[in-house]
Amino acid sequence: MDAMKELSRRELSALCSNLAKACEKQQLFEQQKRFVELADYHAGKADGADGADLKTIEAVVKGDLDSGFGPAFDQAHADHDRGALRALTWSQKATALLDSLLKRYERQGDALIEGTNVYVCEICGFVFVGDNPPDVCPICKVPKSKIVKVRG
Amino acid sequence: MYAPETYASRNIALCTKDCLCLFVCPTGATDTENGQVDATKCISGCRLCVDACPSGALSLMYRSYPEPQPKTDAVVEKLMALAKSKTELEAAATSLTESAESAELRTLAKAIAMSARISAEDLYRESRYMIPQSSEARELLRFMLDEERSDGEFPQEAVRELLDSL
Repeated sequence: MDAMKELSRRELSALCSNLAKACEKQQLFEQQKRFVELADYHAGKADGADGADLKTIEAVVKGDLDSGFGPAFDQAHADHDRGALRALTWSQKATALLDSLLKRYERQGDALIEGTNVYVCEICGFVFVGDNPPDVCPICKVPKSKIVKVRG
Repeated sequence: MYAPETYASRNIALCTKDCLCLFVCPTGATDTENGQVDATKCISGCRLCVDACPSGALSLMYRSYPEPQPKTDAVVEKLMALAKSKTELEAAATSLTESAESAELRTLAKAIAMSARISAEDLYRESRYMIPQSSEARELLRFMLDEERSDGEFPQEAVRELLDSL
């Protein structure tokens, strides 16, 4: 319980929204609603990241790629924890993709997205810019129906 | 042998109405006006409809789940540190959706926020929060109930219902 005291509102919110998804998959729809309620409660109490800009976003992404994934992969390999390796593989690929997308936006600006669409894979966080998302997610291999259009 | 109680469930988006489930079900549980299997009539462990269905729309749901696979504290600590970073990325991107001067940047920021939340959730899944029935998930619920007891806005009932029903 002591470690739980260190959790931020945002962490609590994401923990609850993950458990909501697990309930949905088990078709426990009432319990799903309850976890969504809790996720929203914590999100509502979280401090806003006022003044955050693209530089802030780039710094977080770069930090994860430079020093977050390495030690986590090392530990998961040492533990032979294939579940952890699976999540780290997906997350690292999605993060590297964000990094390259941010660099493309830096060069091209709004033209990168103008007149086209942005899609996100609901399962792994893969982001796609263009008109036709792939039939299968290149990161986690789910079918296209799980890759959703971001509404502006 | 590990044999939890089960019941059949239909994914209506996959169902092509071949009706084999209606033909094979010994209790009529698969024939309902709302398209779902009547779990109260379904026989645990039967799975005749699941095996008969040509479109793969029927699957078994479980009434109980085993504890998720054990994790070391060291790996959980590192996964959760990354997840925390993802929640900070989500916060920064959400803030940018509000201050962005163009619709294009707003859409990009929104996509980053969504991606970050999905990554965080997935990392938590591998940090002992795979299923809501796990002992860690229950501990988290009890922790929140205790921590927020003086906050009138906190949905205490939601937590109590979860602890009772999971």
